[in-house]
Amino acid sequence: MYDAPLRKTDVETKNTKIVAQDVNVYYGDTHAIKDVSVDLLDKTVTAFIGPSGCGKSTFLRCLNRMNDTIDICRVEGKISLDGEDIYDKRVDPVQLRAKVGMVFQKPNPFPKSIYDNVAYGPKIHGLAKNKADLDDIVEKALRRGAIWDEVKDRLHAPGTGLSGGQQQRLCIARAVATEPEVLLMDEPCSALDPIATGQVEELIDELRGQYSVIIVTHSMQQAARVSQKTAFFHLGNLVEYGDTSQIFTNPEDSRTESYITGRIG
Amino acid sequence: MTDASLNGAEEPRRRGSIHEIDARTRKRNAREARFKGYGIGAILVGLFFLVVLAVSIVSSGLPAFTKTVVKVEFTMSQEQYDEAESTLFKTAAYSDIFIAQLRDTMEEEGVEVAFDEGSIERLLGKVGGTLREFYTANEDQLGQPVTFQLPASSRVDGYFNGRVTREGLTESRFLELTDLDLVDALADAGVITQAFNWTFLTGSDSGVDNPGGAGIGVSVVGSFFMMLVVLVLALPIGVAASIYLEEFAPQNKFTDLIEVNISNLAAVPSIVFGILGLAVFIQFMHLPQSAPLVGGLVLTLMTLPTIIISTRASLKSVPPSIRDAALGVGASKMQSVFHHVLPLAMPGILTGTIIGLAQALGETAPLLLIGMVGFVARDYPDGFVGGFTEANSAMPAQIYTWAARADASFYEKAWGGIIVLLVFLLLMNVIAILLRRKFERRW
Repeated sequence: MYDAPLRKTDVETKNTKIVAQDVNVYYGDTHAIKDVSVDLLDKTVTAFIGPSGCGKSTFLRCLNRMNDTIDICRVEGKISLDGEDIYDKRVDPVQLRAKVGMVFQKPNPFPKSIYDNVAYGPKIHGLAKNKADLDDIVEKALRRGAIWDEVKDRLHAPGTGLSGGQQQRLCIARAVATEPEVLLMDEPCSALDPIATGQVEELIDELRGQYSVIIVTHSMQQAARVSQKTAFFHLGNLVEYGDTSQIFTNPEDSRTESYITGRIG
Repeated sequence: MTDASLNGAEEPRRRGSIHEIDARTRKRNAREARFKGYGIGAILVGLFFLVVLAVSIVSSGLPAFTKTVVKVEFTMSQEQYDEAESTLFKTAAYSDIFIAQLRDTMEEEGVEVAFDEGSIERLLGKVGGTLREFYTANEDQLGQPVTFQLPASSRVDGYFNGRVTREGLTESRFLELTDLDLVDALADAGVITQAFNWTFLTGSDSGVDNPGGAGIGVSVVGSFFMMLVVLVLALPIGVAASIYLEEFAPQNKFTDLIEVNISNLAAVPSIVFGILGLAVFIQFMHLPQSAPLVGGLVLTLMTLPTIIISTRASLKSVPPSIRDAALGVGASKMQSVFHHVLPLAMPGILTGTIIGLAQALGETAPLLLIGMVGFVARDYPDGFVGGFTEANSAMPAQIYTWAARADASFYEKAWGGIIVLLVFLLLMNVIAILLRRKFERRW
């Protein structure tokens, strides 16, 4: 699995899902993201790579406005989802986040039952008409999270009682339960062992069929394994963005090459 | 480039067997042992004072829960009743009848001590009045034997508790040495006995000359209604303020100022809140004086900072990943707070609230300023509303009132009141622990 050849995919035919134009992000006086412009494609896995502190997580969090919760964070520039500016005054971040789901670095299930974890999103968005409907949504989400078989007999056990890898897949199931269009993943495998990582990666590949998946990762191998597009960030700049196969075999920028070969970072 | 090469130290720093403890390690271990010693010493000193406190409270306070009673079986015939009612000094007539009967009883028991009306009064107080009150109210009991349990005077009580001794007894109008002979004789005959003092638990404050009739019950009710006011006002206001400040308010100079002032309020002496209550609630708003409602309002002001600080601390301790998770699935700020953060912060909030309530329960100074002193209430309040608006006292203020009185019997009552107060505080702490257990969750 780890030696899988780089995928050749016809990314050119895919539609653009998210367009970022000249995005600048400041934390107080710190200029965290500098003039980043990028087109992210639908039904594609895009990997953000780069050394620690390069701004890739910050940029990811801009895409569903999670940075709104940080008082000192300021975002400039334009980011649009399906042509609509997400930083427009009329946008309620709550509605945006229902469309752009997120999976975090550390598995963070609610201290509730497995069922309630998955059912929470659909409940607050009114996606289920009745209990049976909700049961279906939960089962479907857990199946898509590739964890159904492991938890179907203990749906009412606490979600925090699962193993790390199971918790992360539960979080993915929770994120897909609200039927998002884009799934943001912030180093989803950094707290997982290689087996759990493999399961999550397989899952990401399956999710690609329905969602635009954007994943931040520190593992170059992971980026190469799961993504079709790769963006390399360095010191707040988007240095290079292109097909994964091209970035890893024939990078245009010398910094990208240095990072990939392990000389900076 | 490492330090070792800079120092030019080629040979290894440490030599020798690890089975031998070198001087440096020995010194470090000694330091650790000394520190542990200090810690244990501090705990022992604390425990010592705790034990001294507990022993002195219990030994001084327990006598308040017993009372000395004179048990006399007494029969009054219709003729005696009519005759007594026809005399000019009716209660004196009853007294005479009582003495005559008591003398008969003592002769039967074989007790031979001389006594007169004066000694009966010193031992029992106004017997004649008590008897007359009973028979005029229950005429059907005439001619039948009735057992009276008459409370003995505070000196006799003190004699049984060891507060009054023969050696220490000086000539006074309250008690004479010959009276003690009578007391001893009656005690031997089983006429004077010790009984549980229900009056102390259920009664109200009594006059300064009647410590036997003093009870803490009415002021317990006063405290209860005050705590109700504090709980109903301080909990929602405090929790709402903390949630807003912690989760919603922007971080700026203004909120910083509020934060600093809340911390300062927690350190304001309680008597300041008392005088504020007097000025605002009573003099300006004309709320009833000495009412538990006003006391509760004052204590609410005092408890709010405690509740806000502990609530904010427990909100802060909820991991931010839970908030991220909720926001990440598209919950609104308020949903993330009420569905996820608040339930996790619940045990801390409840503990803080109960600690604040316990603090308020023991507060005396502000109550004295708004007139909730011991002697203002003689009866239980009328109904639920009356509980808030009728003049009443509270436990600590009642204790203070008793402690300030001359009669040594009241001193006993003050200690007894402290036992009752501590029992309530203990109960509240137990509730706090149980609630904590119930709401505690892993994450």
